[in-house]
Amino acid sequence: MKKISLIIFAVLCTGLSLVKAQYKLPAYEKFKLSNGLTVYLMEKHEVPVISLSAIFPAGAIYDGSKAGLASITANTLMTGSVNIPKAKLDEELDFMAANIDMFSSKEFSGLRSKFASKYKNRVLDIIKNILLNPAFDKSEFEKEKSRTLVNLEQAKESPRAVIASYFDKAVYGNHVYGNVVSGTTSSVKGISIDDVKRFYNENYYPEGSAIAVVGDFKTPEMKKMISELFSSWKKSTSKHTNAASNPISYPTEANVVLVNKDDARETTFYIGAPGINRNNPDYVAISVLNTYFGGRFTSLLNDELRVNSGLTYGARSVFSPLKNGGTFYISSFTANKTTAEALDLAIQVLQKFHAGGITEENLASAKNYIKGQFPPSYETAGQLANLLTQMYWYDFNESFINNFEKNVDELTVDKAKNIIHKYFPSDKLQFVLIGKADEINMIAEKFGKVKMMDIKNDIP
Amino acid sequence: MKKFLLPVLLIISFNAMAQIKANDVNSFTLKNGMKFLVVEDNSIPNANMYLFFKVGSRNEHQGITGLSHFFEHMMFNGSKKYGPKMFDRTMEFNGGANNAYTTENVTVYTDWFPASALEVMFDLESDRIANLSIDPKMVESERGVVLSERSTGLENSPWRVLLEGLQATAFQEHPYHWPVIGYEDDMKNWTQADLEKYFRTYYAPNNCVVVISGAVKTQNVKALAEKYFASIPAQPEPEPVHIVEPEQKGERTITIQKDVATPYLAVGYHVPDAKSKDFYALVLLKEILSNGKSSRLHKALVEDKQLATMVSASYDESFDPTLFFVYAMSAKENGDSILEQEIYTEIEKIKTGGVGERELQKVKNQKLMEFYNQIETINGKSNNIGTYEVFFGDYKKMFDAPSEYNKVTADDIKRVANEYLKKRNRTVGILKTNVDN
Repeated sequence: MKKISLIIFAVLCTGLSLVKAQYKLPAYEKFKLSNGLTVYLMEKHEVPVISLSAIFPAGAIYDGSKAGLASITANTLMTGSVNIPKAKLDEELDFMAANIDMFSSKEFSGLRSKFASKYKNRVLDIIKNILLNPAFDKSEFEKEKSRTLVNLEQAKESPRAVIASYFDKAVYGNHVYGNVVSGTTSSVKGISIDDVKRFYNENYYPEGSAIAVVGDFKTPEMKKMISELFSSWKKSTSKHTNAASNPISYPTEANVVLVNKDDARETTFYIGAPGINRNNPDYVAISVLNTYFGGRFTSLLNDELRVNSGLTYGARSVFSPLKNGGTFYISSFTANKTTAEALDLAIQVLQKFHAGGITEENLASAKNYIKGQFPPSYETAGQLANLLTQMYWYDFNESFINNFEKNVDELTVDKAKNIIHKYFPSDKLQFVLIGKADEINMIAEKFGKVKMMDIKNDIP
Repeated sequence: MKKFLLPVLLIISFNAMAQIKANDVNSFTLKNGMKFLVVEDNSIPNANMYLFFKVGSRNEHQGITGLSHFFEHMMFNGSKKYGPKMFDRTMEFNGGANNAYTTENVTVYTDWFPASALEVMFDLESDRIANLSIDPKMVESERGVVLSERSTGLENSPWRVLLEGLQATAFQEHPYHWPVIGYEDDMKNWTQADLEKYFRTYYAPNNCVVVISGAVKTQNVKALAEKYFASIPAQPEPEPVHIVEPEQKGERTITIQKDVATPYLAVGYHVPDAKSKDFYALVLLKEILSNGKSSRLHKALVEDKQLATMVSASYDESFDPTLFFVYAMSAKENGDSILEQEIYTEIEKIKTGGVGERELQKVKNQKLMEFYNQIETINGKSNNIGTYEVFFGDYKKMFDAPSEYNKVTADDIKRVANEYLKKRNRTVGILKTNVDN
């Protein structure tokens, strides 16, 4: 009881660090196969389940002129291997209640799987076959392609589903980070099974990939299994360059992309600018300050736009970092008639943050919050497996986890001032507004040079 | 999480293990009727508190629709000790985060926090349950928030429109007729008196179940519960919902115009509530129809015939008889009627031909995996323990569920398919661009 009364006391006297979570990353083993594949193994025995996460240097930045190629390649890999036709694959996985998904993002593609540990031999064998012996069956590919085309049309019914792609284009311009991961109707129409095979051959190779397995197994046994299964994966013969290493020409003036949606009842918007790289040394400090600015319920943004004014159900801000670049954006939505009010208010909040910085008490609150909410992000085997592949991709290690609290604590009010000025934008803001153009175009003009688009068309 | 350790054993032996596990939930009830369920779990230095109030949109009537959900919002807007904004500010200062959700049946408040902040949570929760203040100014700004919540739901998903229409058609008398978010005109008309009455009636300790999981000690939880909640007086039992939906005597359809790429389709069949003897068989029927790429509907409609880009089924816990849904998105611009017919064809195959043993074992395996997923996190534990306690009348039923599923036979699946998935019992909703020919 003594400890708890101390905590109550601390609530009253602000500024103390309340949260002593002491979360440490569990032990894991990391090794490399002779073909260069990096493997992470971490035992976790609470439930008889294993999670696997794999990462490949095969993201949309390698799409070239065929937007959506990385994504449809990942999906096509799930349509069967040389020795396991799709229908059998689906049935067998369902019977074991095992789950395997493939996906693509800007920089990489990935595989995620979860299965009961008693089925590990069979599921790992299936994963190997999906990755190393794909069938690339033409009719399965065509089915995948027509589903993708309908999905792309359906996405145009939801501003939330497409706004990030418009925004990334606005910030990254012609740089490959502006590539639309899902592709567009016209680009996907032009993709053939041969494009998919070529993309697979060029971009899935062991020396650029990693596999992380976390869950209910014994490390020596799993090490043997993974080594045996994946050592036959041939190293690539060609040289690889990071398609994203070219410099990004960020916008030099404020711009507004106004995307018309005829039946819009509200305006969905992003306001943002360039952000940070994932390896930015101030990453943790920026996370703490973004928590305060737009990363939690009582954040400055949500407090003004939702709690004080009732303009929206929610307003937040996000840093979205990649290896060689990143974005920052404020996102919210509001009724057509309150669009101007909400945009003005969001910008005011940003200006106030620049002018006022953060107080000792608010900094303590943001620190306590981010520390208190940290451990549940690494609670499950799946979360930990993803973390390990992120460590591989962005080249960091367990010190990120183990020193997290220390790094959070090191931020002071003075340091915070510099971080705010350095990383939170104050001018040349980029706007994307999706809404009823004839009701909001006059508003849009106030904020920058307007480019008109329509949600029914492809993202240009 | 250690307490839930489940060795790798055959599914058959699951029941035996489950009996031990139920004992790991510690339970006590205060004199005012407030029930607490506690799971000690030290896997992370965090804990949670889930408060289940047995009130949802089924307790409303026309004129105050959406009030349960609005009330969920008002619970964050100030009480005696912690005035407006102070609930969230105090919680976040102490490293905690929260949310809440409202359904037709229940309103659930969820707090996630470092275990060291447990007493703060008790202080915050007891203050708003004992002494909520309903500030008219806060009512007005919060009204804007829920109107925006309604609007953004409709803006971003045609499903919202379709399912609201379908539900209103399938339920003609019972309160499941209106959407949880409420009618727009009611949302603009809730009064101070409506809110005050709602609070008195439903936010009573005897109408609440609290579940706490994480790095806590039951003894400590008990002491805090006494200290903070024992003095809140019990209230008379709320009036039961007396309306029973009359039996549906023929297929109903509803068509909704919206500019969409391809039609959206949903079919709802009247089925019993969670305490029915057919609950487990109906859940497995749902899985057979739509869980996984080899499931009946997905395989036939998405993979083989390519009539749909997605198909899914749902059947959720409820207090009153509810709907068993099948949903699909057409792959073709005018493909709704053939898609609808093919859904019925697949259902008919089960009604006449039944399901295979391997197929039945498959969905039982899926249920076991789902159980592992549910108990892998402290939040999954609290949410599920609370759900079973509230909907099935006893949290222990959560541990019996795997054996209940194991008992279901292929004949049971065939029987419930025949009993419930019939034409006269269904309501069909279609949302598409062209509704005039």
